Amino acid sequence: MRISTLLARNLAWFWRTNLAVLLGVVTATAVLAGALLVGDSVRGSLRDLVLSRLGNVDSVISGAGFFREQLAADIGAACPIIVTTGVATRESSGQRASGIQVFGVDERFWQFQNEPGEPLRGREVLLSGALARELGSSPGDSILLRVQKPSAIPLESLHGRKDNVGQTVRLTMRAVAPRDFSIRPEQGDVRAVYVPLARLQRDLAVSNQVNTILTGNLPNLAELLKQRYRVEDLGLHVRRLESPEVWSVESDSGMIGDELAKIATDTATVLESRAQPVLSYLANRMKVGDREVPYSMVTAIDGEPAPSEADGVTLNQWTARELGAKPGDALTLDYYVWQSDGRLHTANAQFRVSRIVPIEGAAADRNLAPHYPGITDTNSLHDWDPPFPLDLSVIRPVDEDYWKQYRATPKAFIPLARGRELWGTRFGSLTSIRILPPAPNYEAALHDAIDPQKFGLAVIPVRAQGLQSAHGATDFGEYFVYFSFFLMVSALLLTGLFFKLGVEQRLREIGVLRALGFRASKIRSLFLLEGAVLAAAGSVLGLGAAAAYSALILYALRTWWVDAVGTRLITLHVSIPSLAYGALAGAATALGAIAWTLRRLQSATPRALVHDAGSAPSRSGLVSALQLGSDPRASARRFRTSWRLPLAGVVTVLALALLATAWTRKLDQTPAFFGAGTLLLIAALLFVSARLRSLKLTAISSTLSLGLRSASYRPGRSVLSIALIASAVFVIVSLDAFQQQSPSPDFAGYPFLAESILPLIHNPSTPEGREALNIPKLDGVEFVPFRLKPGDDASCLNLYQPRNPRILAPPASFPHWPELQAKLPGGEVPAIADANSLEYVLHLKVGDLLEVDRVRFRIAAALQDSIFQSELLISGENFLRLYPENEGFRFFLVKARPDAVAPIEDALKDYGFEIQPVSARLASFHRVENTYLATFRALGGLGLVLGTIGLGAIVLRNVLERRKELALLRAVGYRPRDLARIVLVENLLLLLLGLVTGTACAMLAVAPAIASRGGHLPIASLITLLGAVLTVGIGASILATSAALRSPLLPALRSE
Amino acid sequence: MLEIAGITKQYPAPGGPLTVLDGVSLQLKRGDAIAIMGPSGAGKSTLLYIAGGLEPPTSGTITLDGIDPYRIGEKELAAFRNQKIGFLFQDHCLLPQCSVLENVLVPTLVAEGRDQYPERARELLRQVGLDQRLDHRPSELSGGEKQRVALARALIQKPLLLLCDEPTGNLDEASAAAVADLLLELHRQQQTILIVVTHSRDLAARFPSRYELRHANLHPAGA
Repeated sequence: MRISTLLARNLAWFWRTNLAVLLGVVTATAVLAGALLVGDSVRGSLRDLVLSRLGNVDSVISGAGFFREQLAADIGAACPIIVTTGVATRESSGQRASGIQVFGVDERFWQFQNEPGEPLRGREVLLSGALARELGSSPGDSILLRVQKPSAIPLESLHGRKDNVGQTVRLTMRAVAPRDFSIRPEQGDVRAVYVPLARLQRDLAVSNQVNTILTGNLPNLAELLKQRYRVEDLGLHVRRLESPEVWSVESDSGMIGDELAKIATDTATVLESRAQPVLSYLANRMKVGDREVPYSMVTAIDGEPAPSEADGVTLNQWTARELGAKPGDALTLDYYVWQSDGRLHTANAQFRVSRIVPIEGAAADRNLAPHYPGITDTNSLHDWDPPFPLDLSVIRPVDEDYWKQYRATPKAFIPLARGRELWGTRFGSLTSIRILPPAPNYEAALHDAIDPQKFGLAVIPVRAQGLQSAHGATDFGEYFVYFSFFLMVSALLLTGLFFKLGVEQRLREIGVLRALGFRASKIRSLFLLEGAVLAAAGSVLGLGAAAAYSALILYALRTWWVDAVGTRLITLHVSIPSLAYGALAGAATALGAIAWTLRRLQSATPRALVHDAGSAPSRSGLVSALQLGSDPRASARRFRTSWRLPLAGVVTVLALALLATAWTRKLDQTPAFFGAGTLLLIAALLFVSARLRSLKLTAISSTLSLGLRSASYRPGRSVLSIALIASAVFVIVSLDAFQQQSPSPDFAGYPFLAESILPLIHNPSTPEGREALNIPKLDGVEFVPFRLKPGDDASCLNLYQPRNPRILAPPASFPHWPELQAKLPGGEVPAIADANSLEYVLHLKVGDLLEVDRVRFRIAAALQDSIFQSELLISGENFLRLYPENEGFRFFLVKARPDAVAPIEDALKDYGFEIQPVSARLASFHRVENTYLATFRALGGLGLVLGTIGLGAIVLRNVLERRKELALLRAVGYRPRDLARIVLVENLLLLLLGLVTGTACAMLAVAPAIASRGGHLPIASLITLLGAVLTVGIGASILATSAALRSPLLPALRSE
Repeated sequence: MLEIAGITKQYPAPGGPLTVLDGVSLQLKRGDAIAIMGPSGAGKSTLLYIAGGLEPPTSGTITLDGIDPYRIGEKELAAFRNQKIGFLFQDHCLLPQCSVLENVLVPTLVAEGRDQYPERARELLRQVGLDQRLDHRPSELSGGEKQRVALARALIQKPLLLLCDEPTGNLDEASAAAVADLLLELHRQQQTILIVVTHSRDLAARFPSRYELRHANLHPAGA
């Protein structure tokens, strides 16, 4: 005989209670490990999606503009593609899909991804499965694809073409793509179209050019890129001019950015050459007195032939003659300027003629003007096709003659500083830089001096970033641990209750052991050992149940709770660490619960344990009830009761005072009512506690009232049961207070918002902008255009961790968020974000710093329940400074009648312009929050239902303790059914008191929230929950009662 | 030697302390056997448990072999009960999950040098006539058999003091007689100090010394 033998005997002999304990541990472990597995599964699924969609792609070289396709071959194992977004329309049905990914690919792509198959020919395209389903397309269908037309010249510069920023390509669907490909992490379906690369290059007029290179795991990719790129890949050209003999550094965009200009200049200095910056601009008109010359190129330059005086202008002889100008004359220069408000303005500047020069030497240099398509490549001024209004009527034959003879040779020269002041833009303030004398190795030196990654060729480790993002913005494991809290507590409660029940059944055994010389600590160790074996076994068995629990939760997330995750692509991922952690935590907490039940074992003497079984009071509730009034300990009980009633009164008064204050709106109603509800719950429990202890519940006139009176048998136990049920019901019901209310119908008076796939360069808030955009004249329509830098969705709709959030910038005229205009030290940029996105997605708070791509955003304020949950808001001024390449407006607040929405969308359909009500946008966010609440309520309710089974254990304990009383009742003629009724009534009383108290107080707590949404209450779910609790509670009581009453009662009477 | 000197036991009650034992004194040496009788509630069991180190007296002292169990620590007290005292309850208090042999061996689980015990347990069970039932569970035994197992368990540690609380109270006449025979025989063999609390005059009659507990004190029977 060894301790282990005794342990084994105990485990086998008391198998019923041990099984109940085991099931409790299994449940606790399953819930905990299962919740962690949910987190693992979400992360694992996101990771799988990233990996499967990237295929063999490890990194990409992404261009701000288009660059040589050949660069991919120069780098090595790499694949050139075009990546853009667009709008696809199934021509036959008109069904449209906005914001789809467009990939221009050829056979190299499929080889790179190890996907066999015939290359796409002609206008054939593949559609991703999701896009095909969305469009209802099948092979052979005609698909119209609308994408943004690339433009080297900034659209928001004078020479940018603003009216037709898109290109429509007609294509034919060949099949559904064999695999989904996506560079950016997204949990939803991939909506993509795969277009033949050559076709897309032709339609976008970017022959042999791409904007993305896919690479595998190439070591030192950045270094490789630095070696193999060419300056032309950045849109730069170094041109050798013969007369004068110089290098001319020029840009495809027509403007050289300030940083590049500095590098070009510094490089010249290093080579002991001189850099001469040039800025040429088109003047609409030069006027001296009443004579004028139209459409003239003016060059700002330091040195000959420009004057040195700041307001001076040098005219060539032809211009001076046409203007009748002589040195000292005042000259007015009119010119267009495209401003950041999305409008073309005509500005003018005053000069004084400094001198007049012949058209020779530097004054005859037609290369000073950059190449502008539609202007510099025409033979006649009348052939000009500029992207701005041109008044052909003012063009005279002599102007045509000048053009024929001198083309874009400048007619006037001004100092560079003045030119930059007048015509500098965010894209740069030089049109070319001349390097003289032309050092032979200048181009190579410039190449080496430029870091291509800073000027439009970014190396992005998409696989590493995707995997990092796949850690997720939200730890679903943590969330589901919270959501499953009641379930876990209930399981642990059951574990403890059943173990205690088992211990109490063995109190006599404990007494014997102590009489035989076992120390209390030894006995406790023995029980703990038993508990440890059960906890260990339960936790191991719980692992299987954990997988089942998490599979169930994931099924729910893919179906009923899909709004919480926004994808049906979440699958079960079992991870050993989570299982181990769950098992250990489950075993430890279960053992803790078991240890808790054993803590009072030592207080009873062995004699009491042997004779009185240690737990039953010497006076039972029944005997007390029968001797009411003559109880010698009544005074002591009165003392124990006496403080509860007054305290209940005080707490009630406090609750009423809080209610009254809230009613008069001196306090915020929601927290005040919540506080009052909580106080009333406490008061109610104190009152119930006092009443149970006072034994004045009811006169004993029937078996029912006898049952009611029995609730006072163990008042502490009864109150604990009521308190547990009431508290859980209170929390679950009052969750309704956090239910998002009906979304606001507008934001700042704007009932709609809109986004466009292609940028609107014209400002639709102005009459001329609407005219340019062909928006019909509709009464009461207003737009607030925002600038948008696309990026990661920072809202709860995105499961991935946003690395590079979307940035929005309101116009300067928007009368909100003055915090954005603050000037912060250290180059920090004030930003505003939605409070929920900040807390739950970005994990920041107001005042924190967020660094994205070397830009430091200081969170200046948080918006409550806003439509801007997906982005950061910054000022327009900062936006243009930080992201000059993001042109035009792509996000809009719209004020319009509902019937005006369709005409506006129709007018702007080529931009992929889609309007949605503000309330719909808010509702999409609310759905996520409300789904989380529903999840919590469902799992909490399940926990409450499980916890109610614990009532059965309490009933069983009560009945076992009172076997002698019940035997006495049997002896005096009670039938088993009478005894069952007595026990059930008692239990029902506890159950109902808990439910009614918790529900009533919770209703009060959430009254303002309910009232604010017109009295809507989730009646059905509440009734289901409370009904389930009641049913399970009664069921558990019946089972416990019948189990207890099945054991022979009369022997108990005999032993009395 | 068991020396009980001036033992008093009081219980708190609403009307003031209730005195159950009032200056009880008794001296017994190895081989002595006494029976204590008295009405229910007189304090017989209380005296028994006080003597067994299970319930401290309100005042007075008790020593067994020179050791006062209420002046030693919890650990020593447990060892004292384990090695010096054997208990036999009216209800046998066997562990239902253990076999007959295992029940007898239960006290040895917290004792030193366990190797010797299994043989002794078998011998004791042979002496009480249950050597054919070693692997039976208590539920498979009659009341008298259970009490005999309990007697073997009480004697497994060769206690100096054997305390029996109504050992035949739950038994029929024949079984009671058999248990009483065994009890006295084993007492004689092992020379324990035997104290039996009983309502049974038949059982008491078999003891050379008999006491009645009346008015909170011990009086020689018939006095």
